[in-house]
Amino acid sequence: MANLTIRRDTVEGLLTALREEYDVFDCRGATLPFKQYLFPPEQEILKATRMGKTQAAKPPRAMVLFGLDRRDLEALAQLDVIMAKPIEDVPYWKRRKRAIVIGIVEDDGTTVPSGDVVFRETTNRAYRVETNSERAQRFVRAWKKFFQTAKGSTDEKTGPRAQAANTADWSAGMDELLAQPELLANAVEWSHDHRIWDELAKRCLGCGICTYVCPLCYCFATEDRVGLDDICRRCRRWDACTLLNFSRVAGGFHFKPTLRERYYNWFYHKFVRAYREYGKPQCVGCGRCKQNCPASIDIQDVLRTIVRDYEARAV
Amino acid sequence: MSKDRSLPQRVTVVNVERQSPTVKLLRLAPVPWRPKQRGAPLFHPGQFVMVGELGYGEVPLGALSPPTATDYVEVAVRKVGNVTGHLHTLASGDSVMLRGPYGNGFPLDRFTGKDVVMVTGGCGIPPIAALVEHIIANREQFGRVSLLYGAKTPDELLLKKRMKEWQRHDITVLTTIDQPAPSWRGPVGFVPTLIPNARVNGAQAVAAVCGPTPMVRALASALNGIGITNERIFVSTERAMHCGIGKCQHCTIGDRYVCMDGPVFTLDWLEKCWDG
Repeated sequence: MANLTIRRDTVEGLLTALREEYDVFDCRGATLPFKQYLFPPEQEILKATRMGKTQAAKPPRAMVLFGLDRRDLEALAQLDVIMAKPIEDVPYWKRRKRAIVIGIVEDDGTTVPSGDVVFRETTNRAYRVETNSERAQRFVRAWKKFFQTAKGSTDEKTGPRAQAANTADWSAGMDELLAQPELLANAVEWSHDHRIWDELAKRCLGCGICTYVCPLCYCFATEDRVGLDDICRRCRRWDACTLLNFSRVAGGFHFKPTLRERYYNWFYHKFVRAYREYGKPQCVGCGRCKQNCPASIDIQDVLRTIVRDYEARAV
Repeated sequence: MSKDRSLPQRVTVVNVERQSPTVKLLRLAPVPWRPKQRGAPLFHPGQFVMVGELGYGEVPLGALSPPTATDYVEVAVRKVGNVTGHLHTLASGDSVMLRGPYGNGFPLDRFTGKDVVMVTGGCGIPPIAALVEHIIANREQFGRVSLLYGAKTPDELLLKKRMKEWQRHDITVLTTIDQPAPSWRGPVGFVPTLIPNARVNGAQAVAAVCGPTPMVRALASALNGIGITNERIFVSTERAMHCGIGKCQHCTIGDRYVCMDGPVFTLDWLEKCWDG
């Protein structure tokens, strides 16, 4: 497809037009990440009437997820792998297959990890539009009145995206840590007896917010809901491994009774279990957990302390 | 899109048998999955199924029927909570939701040609029962085989009729109860006390164990005492279970999943795992 652009001032118009045909979700700067549309906080997977007739949940409407940034696109790419292997997660893919994903990233010459359509921030007036799939090309053709064929432009080129200096430093720090996944896996595994987990268990409120805002936390509980409409719904709803009842079994026994174990397990999953299972830490350095933690726990501080002490350990 | 392996199917309770004051056996049919190959067993001994009802939930239960039985699967249900309370109200002809089978089961290739000692207590018997049935169906592949089984009271020993049947197939069955009881003439004491009587060659034997962690610890030292090392002790573990397909994170032990990599792990691995 020829070089396409979209004027920045027509983007809102595009979204409005798309709403005629799609559920459109604007994910730009969202606290709760895009995962909520593919893996909703509560999703019906099965229902039955009193007469016992069961039926699988209806497929959702087609949707557009708009405005995922580079870190969200990386999280989406990983979530797609997690939900495909080793066993396909059908409720996720029922929604995922109905979603067109539009990313917005800088025009830095790098490829994007996922996304059907990508808006590149080339100039202050327009985005350069990339399509990464057959489906994306059909989509852009269908909405062609919003796109222009690029001509030599005299628009001012955009510089690096404006970002507060402290946020930029924090993100760069996360990228530096995440570039060494083997070190993170070894350090976090080693840290099980580290006093930092005792300290964090005192600070952490066990509220689960870090897991809800994480684009790569996907644990869920299966629950049945009976309503006044005489319909019983089997739902999956977001759970959080830091919550007390996460490891509870019938009879009341808890396999991870202390917050220390549960909080360690959160890190262990992201940086050890996930790395061994899928080859990548399940963190994209988006900073949502830090920004939204009511106890101001900073994932980067925790990782740096562990890595520092791991590297300095008596061998 | 493939079939959703986490969705249950409705099946019929074809038989209910009370086993103890708190435990019933439910026989379920038809089985809503096919064996991997035509004529292959329906499940691997040590695998589990999810049984439940909409509005109540689901519980993981070890399948205890002979794995070669082609038209039903049997589970033991101890009444401890919401779901099991409902399952206890069911009579023959009622229905339940069933899905599975899940997990690895016992590594039979590591058992073949060896003496086998199986040790469990109370309602830990189901995965062991399926293993016994597999051994009986392939008796010539195994050496001397012992089942050591303990319970609090004589009433709480399950599968008494089947244990008599197993003894006729050259399986040594030893039972014990925790406290003396008027009706009981057998040994008294916790199940590890039976281990020195297991008729096995500890230098090569393998052990299959199902029980809570404190019991497994006590068993381990007794099994080590007759020469069975932790790499040859296979433990069926328990964790909270929701999805059964390695996604929901409830059943993790360290870097593994009970529903996919377990429920059977070597004791050696469990001892080294922070979460074991």
